Amino acid sequence: MAATFFGEVVRTPCRAGTEDEEEQEEGRRETPEDKEVRRQLARKREVRLFRRQTKTTLEVSLLEKHPCSKFIIAIGNNAVAFLSSFVMNSGAWEEVGCAKLWNEWCRTTDTAHLSPAEAFCVFYHLKSNPSVMLCQCSCYVAEDQQYQWLEKVFGSCPRKNMQVTILTCRHVTDYKTSESTSSLHTPFLKALKTQNFKEPPFCSLLEQPNIVHDLPAAVLSYCQVWRIPAVLYLCYTDVMKLDLITVEAFKPVLSSRSLKCLVKNIPQSTEILKKLMTANEIQSNIYT
Amino acid sequence: MASRYDRAITVFSPDGHLFQVEYAQEAVKKGSTAVGIRGTNIVVLGVEKKSVAKLQDERTVRKICALDDHVCMAFAGLTADARVVINRARVECQSHKLTVEDPVTVEYITRFIATLKQKYTQSNGRRPFGISALIVGFDDDGIPRLYQTDPSGTYHAWKANAIGRSAKTVREFLEKNYTEDAIANDSEAIKLAIRALLEVVQSGGKNIELAIIRRNQPLKMFSAKEIELQVNEIEKEKEEAEKKKSKKTT
Repeated sequence: MAATFFGEVVRTPCRAGTEDEEEQEEGRRETPEDKEVRRQLARKREVRLFRRQTKTTLEVSLLEKHPCSKFIIAIGNNAVAFLSSFVMNSGAWEEVGCAKLWNEWCRTTDTAHLSPAEAFCVFYHLKSNPSVMLCQCSCYVAEDQQYQWLEKVFGSCPRKNMQVTILTCRHVTDYKTSESTSSLHTPFLKALKTQNFKEPPFCSLLEQPNIVHDLPAAVLSYCQVWRIPAVLYLCYTDVMKLDLITVEAFKPVLSSRSLKCLVKNIPQSTEILKKLMTANEIQSNIYT
Repeated sequence: MASRYDRAITVFSPDGHLFQVEYAQEAVKKGSTAVGIRGTNIVVLGVEKKSVAKLQDERTVRKICALDDHVCMAFAGLTADARVVINRARVECQSHKLTVEDPVTVEYITRFIATLKQKYTQSNGRRPFGISALIVGFDDDGIPRLYQTDPSGTYHAWKANAIGRSAKTVREFLEKNYTEDAIANDSEAIKLAIRALLEVVQSGGKNIELAIIRRNQPLKMFSAKEIELQVNEIEKEKEEAEKKKSKKTT
């Protein structure tokens, strides 16, 4: 027993166990109502992969149905804008799937009608070379949903002869360094790769004790475990909303083996990017 | 660690940070760029115009505001906070004029704004103002002034400075290019401000707004045409400089 500051007496935990353990266990047992709530929540948070054109759910994992040799994943609005402007305008891409998921961070409640702008997670392949796949993920995939996402996309036994490139952003205040943060020239790129990725990355590697978070970390870990060559390009920026300078910070990646053959018209891409920025900027009046 | 000391404005962290003030400085970086230049006989304020929605009245989306006939300011950060600070500063300018029969000095009104901002970093239940301001003007003695304030309530005089998004890039440009020759006359100072903004403004002159104050003259806002003329001149000068350079190398 212990007394608190406010005078109440509370039970202190005891590892030796007490007589009252059985009573506590009964209290902890779930009621049918709790079970039902838990089941509904799990169903709501399920990650579903389907084809929007046919409105059918994919029976197998995406990469089992569409095997690829190059898989480029953009996570976050700046990375997505980069791929939209510099890669997707240089060829005909066909949508092959869409991952639908809900969590507390989702602002869109209407998950029935998804437009490309606000779609959660869309997968494309290049019509002229279907072994090149692209993923645009502009939603947040929660921790409990990451494993489901990986299973639905990569499957339980992925091919090892593919190369994965992941692009994402993080706020520079998360970057740990002994230098003063005011001396950092944001935005800047850092890379993290799996053991099987042999190409030299286009920027310096991410130093310890910095770590990668969320879906990019889950994908990279998955690739490391399954020995898939994968590289993550992480852009540290001080502007997390859609920003031209942050998007352009990814440009060095255009010289990589995965992206070089996919990029054709850089001036046109820059124009498309500017239009995207203008369309986005008009929406908010909070900052001037 | 930061999360235990970043909720209340009045709480210092063990290593001496006031996190709310530092977070307010991040809010400033979300605003578009503003640059201020103090010339010999002119002060210039240039800003990156915010994109305006089709149905929005452009006149109501302004980053450069006059505080009095001889003082004006540009801000970066939270729009609503800026409105409150500007209103208070304008009232103070008139109150000062009525009380002591003299217009405010640029330093006085800057100190007023900075003191107001500092108060909000030391009050319980209030948050700091999420804006930085560049305040320019001429005093009675005819000397041009440029001051910058930030959410912590500090203010300093500058020869040239930038605030908002990409302020660092613009400041570096100014450090390299702000010379006595560059501000020798009014048109050079204006061009310097536009060149500094063009470093970070992607769509060129269309997205720039410019204001100047000359000695004993009221604030003048440049029209879009005038800015375009300046931008064209700058581009011509750049081309000529590049031609000269390529001639020298061959």
